[in-house]
Amino acid sequence: MTSPSIQAAPSPGDAIDRHARGPLLTAIGLAIAWLVLSGVFSLIAAIQLHSPAFLSGCEFLTHGRVRALAESAFIYGWAGGSGIAVTVWILGRLGGNSLRAMNWFGAGNAFWNLGIAAGLVGIATGDMTSFSFLQLPRYVQPLLVFASATMGIAGLLAWSGRRRDGTFASQWYGIAGLVLFPWALTAAQISQLWVPLRGVLQAVGAAWYVDAVVFLWLAPLALASAYYLLPKLNRGVLPSYEAAPLAFWLLVVAGTWGAGRHLIGGPVPAWIPTMAVVGFSLLLYHFSVVGLNLRGAFRAEGAEAGALKFGVGAYVVFGVVAFLGCFRSIALRTQFTHFASATDLLFLYGVVSMLFFAAIYFVLPQLTGRPWFSSSLTSGHLAGVKVGIALSIFALAVAGLSQGSMLLNPKVGFGEIASGVRTYLLVNTAAQLVLLASNLLLLVNFWRSACTCCGGAEKAEGSVS
Amino acid sequence: MKNGPLFLLGLFLSAVVAWSAIVLGAHAQLGALTPWFDEGEGSSFPPRPTGLAARGQLVYADLGCASCHTQQVRRPDFGSDKERGWGDRQSVARDYLFQIRPQIGAARVGPDLANFGGRKPQAPSADAVLGLLHSGSERHPAYPFLFETRAIAGEPSSRALKLSGVSAPASGHEVVPTERAQTLVAYLLNLNSTYDYPEAKPLVKAPAKQEGKK
Repeated sequence: MTSPSIQAAPSPGDAIDRHARGPLLTAIGLAIAWLVLSGVFSLIAAIQLHSPAFLSGCEFLTHGRVRALAESAFIYGWAGGSGIAVTVWILGRLGGNSLRAMNWFGAGNAFWNLGIAAGLVGIATGDMTSFSFLQLPRYVQPLLVFASATMGIAGLLAWSGRRRDGTFASQWYGIAGLVLFPWALTAAQISQLWVPLRGVLQAVGAAWYVDAVVFLWLAPLALASAYYLLPKLNRGVLPSYEAAPLAFWLLVVAGTWGAGRHLIGGPVPAWIPTMAVVGFSLLLYHFSVVGLNLRGAFRAEGAEAGALKFGVGAYVVFGVVAFLGCFRSIALRTQFTHFASATDLLFLYGVVSMLFFAAIYFVLPQLTGRPWFSSSLTSGHLAGVKVGIALSIFALAVAGLSQGSMLLNPKVGFGEIASGVRTYLLVNTAAQLVLLASNLLLLVNFWRSACTCCGGAEKAEGSVS
Repeated sequence: MKNGPLFLLGLFLSAVVAWSAIVLGAHAQLGALTPWFDEGEGSSFPPRPTGLAARGQLVYADLGCASCHTQQVRRPDFGSDKERGWGDRQSVARDYLFQIRPQIGAARVGPDLANFGGRKPQAPSADAVLGLLHSGSERHPAYPFLFETRAIAGEPSSRALKLSGVSAPASGHEVVPTERAQTLVAYLLNLNSTYDYPEAKPLVKAPAKQEGKK
């Protein structure tokens, strides 16, 4: 199937990157701006969890809407925007030719960001769909499909026009993420929003889409970065690489079988939650192989390696936690609690964002041809997000477990539960504040690094934040 | 994976098969579900929601109430849902048959609402729900934007909230719920899943040892 595990030596960077510089820097800059904006919403939502009166009188910022705003800005604006941009760049590098169709990428990215901005205004004014991960209103969804497909064209061309015959793990994951997302979003929006399924079937479709975003879109894009970066950083061969193709296909085939983990004990056919156990049992192989392949990250050194290490470790932990959560006896205690938020955070922040941070720290100097503006801002940002993520996941997980056991006891009222977990929710608020402050450092650092190279080209990003 | 078209085909097939199995598979099983006609009562269940309640569900969705409240009662031996008085039986697919966009939710920061209008011994009154929505509580946010405070012109409105203490309006003024608040409350009180469908009856009889304890 494929070949050696050392990544192809890149041709001289400048020639490959020249056409790509503007569009890719704009896309990454806008994504970071969304990350900061999402951090503001997450902070408001975290405060509302322990002090419900906070900003509740403002109709645009009810807890439900703020959560939808934070989630949408994070998933589509930050993770999607930066993930697609970084993956296109990686596919260009591995292809060995200069990137083509970058004007398509630029146009697609403009519409992508416009669509998200319009969608967030829609959520704030009451058009949220109430399906997790699919909260953006119906009217921007088709735009997002076309915009993401248009951005993906550049990656697809770089892959099909590659110089070497063989392919690398990074390319499989990258292409999978780029081509499966537009399809998944189309399938989800048709069956949920345009021609909705009846009654509780909508919940089944919604659960499937959550896992499609996780396992068919964001995880592949993040793994594309990880599989590309590690051989670059420690200049070694990936161990157990011969197992990587099977691990890849298991993710693509069985990734969404686990959708029923969101519906345990719910009003759906019982085989759906049961299938989650089967799916995740298969995925355990995937998680182990990724862990084995990328274990070199724990020996690598440098700023990118620190983030890579965190991301790889978090991915394996996430796999185990999600697997355990498929079992009814465990779900009984964790379902419907803050523990579910902790699991989401572990994936979205601990895995996806950390791997994209690593990639962005690696990619930017290649694009601009000079190092980052400030290495202390870099280390400050990475240290801050690591502390923030770990603290927030810990606080929410403990709060969730304690909430879960109190919910099981019918004598404990909701007032008692709220006061019981209040301390942890306060810690979570502090962690969200740390995350927001750290990501501001990244925004400043990115702004200064990108602007010294291409002057006014990055003006656009400031207007969004 | 050198063969591009074959690789792409493999990707799509894998994803489409999983989607078809889960979403279309569930659709094949439940897509043709019909209401249950009870000959004894001479009517079918679940009843269609009133127009006001159907509109209220849209308010519930657009405010994002589902981020803190579920609407799915779990079966009596799985969690404390029954003991908490949320419902005597588990929610089943038929309960959601006429809901345009079921709000089954995924978090219980607050209580489950699937059977809010069917609570025993009696459902909360509309006034109590409106009061909570207007003034909030220690654990529930207030949504003053769902209400209108206005000067009393002539007769006070019959819909005006009976408020006291800090949340009471200035003298000569009254607080009346907007149309959205009225539809939201109508929706919440219309949520009623007390009817026992055949599929909602527990398959396993209550174990004998429970009787022995008494």
